[in-house]
Amino acid sequence: VHKYLAKRFLLMLPTLFGVALVTFVLIRVIPGDVVELRYSGDRGSVSQEVIDKERARIGLDKPVWQQFLSWIGGVVRFDFGTSMWTGAPILEEIKLRLALSLQLAVMATIVAVLLAIPLGVLSALKQDTWIDYAVRLFSIAGLAMPSFWLGIVLILVMLVVFRWLPPMVYTPFWVNPVQNLAQLIWPALAVGYRYSAVATRMTRSAMLEVLREDYIRTARAKGLMQKLILSRHALKNAMLPVLTVVALEFAFLIGGLVVTEQVFNLNGIGMLFVQAVAHRDYTLLQALIMLVAGSFIVVNFLMDVAYAWLDPRIRYR
Amino acid sequence: MRRLAAISIVVTVALVMAGAWPAAAQDKPRSGGELVFVVPSEPPSYDAHQEETFGLIHPTAPHYSTLLRVDPTDRTGTKPVGDLAESWTISKDQLAYMFKIRKGVKFHDGSEMTSKDIKASYDKILHPPAGVKSLRREAYGAIASIDAPDPATFVVKLKYPESSMLLNLASPWNWIYKADILAKDPHYYETHVMGTGPFKFVEHVRGSHWVGKKNPDYWDKGRPYLDGYRAIFISSSAAQVAAVRGERAMIQFRSFSPPERDSLVQALGPKIAVQESPWDCANLVAMHHDKKPFDDKRVRRALTLALDRYEGSKALSRITLVKDVAGIQVPGTPYATPPAELEKLAGYGHDIAKNRAEAKRLLKEAGVPEGFAFTFKNRGIPHPYEHLGIWLIDQWRQIGLNVKMEMIEASAYHPMLKRGDFDVAMDFQCGFIVEPDLDLPRFLSHSEANYGKHKDTVIDDLFSRQGRATDPEERKKILRQLEKRLLDEEVHVFYTLQWHRIVPHLAKVKGWTITPSHYLNNQLDTVWLSE
Repeated sequence: VHKYLAKRFLLMLPTLFGVALVTFVLIRVIPGDVVELRYSGDRGSVSQEVIDKERARIGLDKPVWQQFLSWIGGVVRFDFGTSMWTGAPILEEIKLRLALSLQLAVMATIVAVLLAIPLGVLSALKQDTWIDYAVRLFSIAGLAMPSFWLGIVLILVMLVVFRWLPPMVYTPFWVNPVQNLAQLIWPALAVGYRYSAVATRMTRSAMLEVLREDYIRTARAKGLMQKLILSRHALKNAMLPVLTVVALEFAFLIGGLVVTEQVFNLNGIGMLFVQAVAHRDYTLLQALIMLVAGSFIVVNFLMDVAYAWLDPRIRYR
Repeated sequence: MRRLAAISIVVTVALVMAGAWPAAAQDKPRSGGELVFVVPSEPPSYDAHQEETFGLIHPTAPHYSTLLRVDPTDRTGTKPVGDLAESWTISKDQLAYMFKIRKGVKFHDGSEMTSKDIKASYDKILHPPAGVKSLRREAYGAIASIDAPDPATFVVKLKYPESSMLLNLASPWNWIYKADILAKDPHYYETHVMGTGPFKFVEHVRGSHWVGKKNPDYWDKGRPYLDGYRAIFISSSAAQVAAVRGERAMIQFRSFSPPERDSLVQALGPKIAVQESPWDCANLVAMHHDKKPFDDKRVRRALTLALDRYEGSKALSRITLVKDVAGIQVPGTPYATPPAELEKLAGYGHDIAKNRAEAKRLLKEAGVPEGFAFTFKNRGIPHPYEHLGIWLIDQWRQIGLNVKMEMIEASAYHPMLKRGDFDVAMDFQCGFIVEPDLDLPRFLSHSEANYGKHKDTVIDDLFSRQGRATDPEERKKILRQLEKRLLDEEVHVFYTLQWHRIVPHLAKVKGWTITPSHYLNNQLDTVWLSE
């Protein structure tokens, strides 16, 4: 087991380096830079001398390979530098937003799991009945509706029908739970619904597959209670692919709620992504991509560990 | 049904606007409350001397004072009044300005503000130390020296008379900093706030909000009226509108588009007031003078003659941020072109059939064939660039030109203009005070913002003369000559339509007056809430 985990862990390092290299190069292919954007402003008449000096100050005048070496050296030491736009330390910028994004990801995951697993199991058990059709319709609708669109609809309904809008400023849960939930429950529902649609369909198909396995037939032949068959034998085995979907979606939510965060004006990692791209804030953008890539890689690693724990065949292969 | 809705919106806007002014004038200011407003952008640093964005001015200006300011009740935004300066005198030769500084003004740390602080701030603007940026120092080329002979006097001496000097000293960017702090660390104000303004700094949570609280020691006793303010950073325009509509925010000081205004008026009815003004921003068309056939002034003249600005104004003002037909200055301001004069310029006459016939004749004479194709490069921003670009293409099509529009991504747009990598391109300018000395330097032969690369010593000379003309009437005459040369005789560039600023706000927000610039009137000392 240890050898298996060590191998999986070591594979993370070249992947991260690859991400770092590709990110660094691709960002610089985009035309324009942070200095041009910052000083073009509304007048567009800042002198070239000022622009050149600022470029030199933040190191954009150096050859690209030198910039890369300097940046990757910092990354190894877990020093991502400062934002080219605000001058603030990047870790501080990320830390400021991470709590909101993590909470939203957790809340959306809870919504998704609470919807997906019961509905998926029910749908599989009642295959080809009206219950199955209703669940499938519900999940297809979730897949068809982008979460940001659902968010816009939610906001409009709240504004038009209830003449109420969620708070615009984030309040940490431990400061004021009511205020916090009043802001985050809506995006969590919008995102969680789409997320649950994927997981519901996965749960249904996995359950259908497992319910046809020989060991389920054997369990039934032994006279085991249906409840026990489902919980102990079917669900546990059907959860492997569902776990994958849930985990990867969770990793995506850390930085992937770009539009949803805009719609609800949430000061999270997704919004920071948009700002970093809009400002051509290379250092911040690189750090954010590394964060998201890192989340995916870590989640994948944890998935491998979970797989090994859940499925002995993987462990002993 | 749609028509009925449109009429009802127009009527409501008119009623609300008509009702808001007398009411505001009659109401007595009331103390208390927190003003919540939306800011669509965010400050990169906190130092106004080195920034260009309203994203800094809107949340941060209430912490600071300036030597002079633009009268917060003046809708033209062109009347200087004292802020830290109590009064001033100007020498007969107009080469020396002596300012009497208010006594008893305190920084937010409790220390006394004197002319030494004003001098130190202006020293930083005029002669920034190594490694410190000052973006507008070129605007003060006329200043020979500054001095603070005693704590209550600040003196500015000029090399030559400059009619715009007072307004230049009222710049909303020239915040007064504390001399002792600047002496220790000239970068301090990039990351810290310490001013003498009506509100003290409480917190800035990046990406989220900025909070200020009333300064009880503010020099203007009884002000500010508000207990504090909260600026919420919202980049998405839909979310900004939702914030006002849901009454989570009371105002956004930059501008909304006409459809956004209409949706707010329709949703909130009498709870919303709308203030509108011509905006000190305009889109111009730059034509590269080194590229054929745009090196020929007949071709450039044809391009401006093709535009039906008056009809364009009617159509475009319903959907985007433009409205007035204007020359080189914002309509309604002291040096704006009178309509009768404007109509004499190429492309401003009302007989569009005649203009277009003339345009076709000029193109033919210049050897430009029917169906001549070129690319018009535009900035990749919807309002009002995209709308104006589509309109321009249609107008040029009507004189037989075949124009393709290329939208250039915002960050690549300026480098494109600077490189001169275009035949014809959308240019733009936005000012912070309507003043020829601030708005027109871009048309000088040596200016870095002269993207079409025209060389015209007549314009250079007229610009210099208007700036030194101390008699306003004489200055107007010179400006009209400059305008005729620039837009009619040589057509080095031409204006499309003036931007139009629209600020809908909750009717309970009182004491704030719109001006042509979204950089002005943001100290909030005059603002109060009626509920």
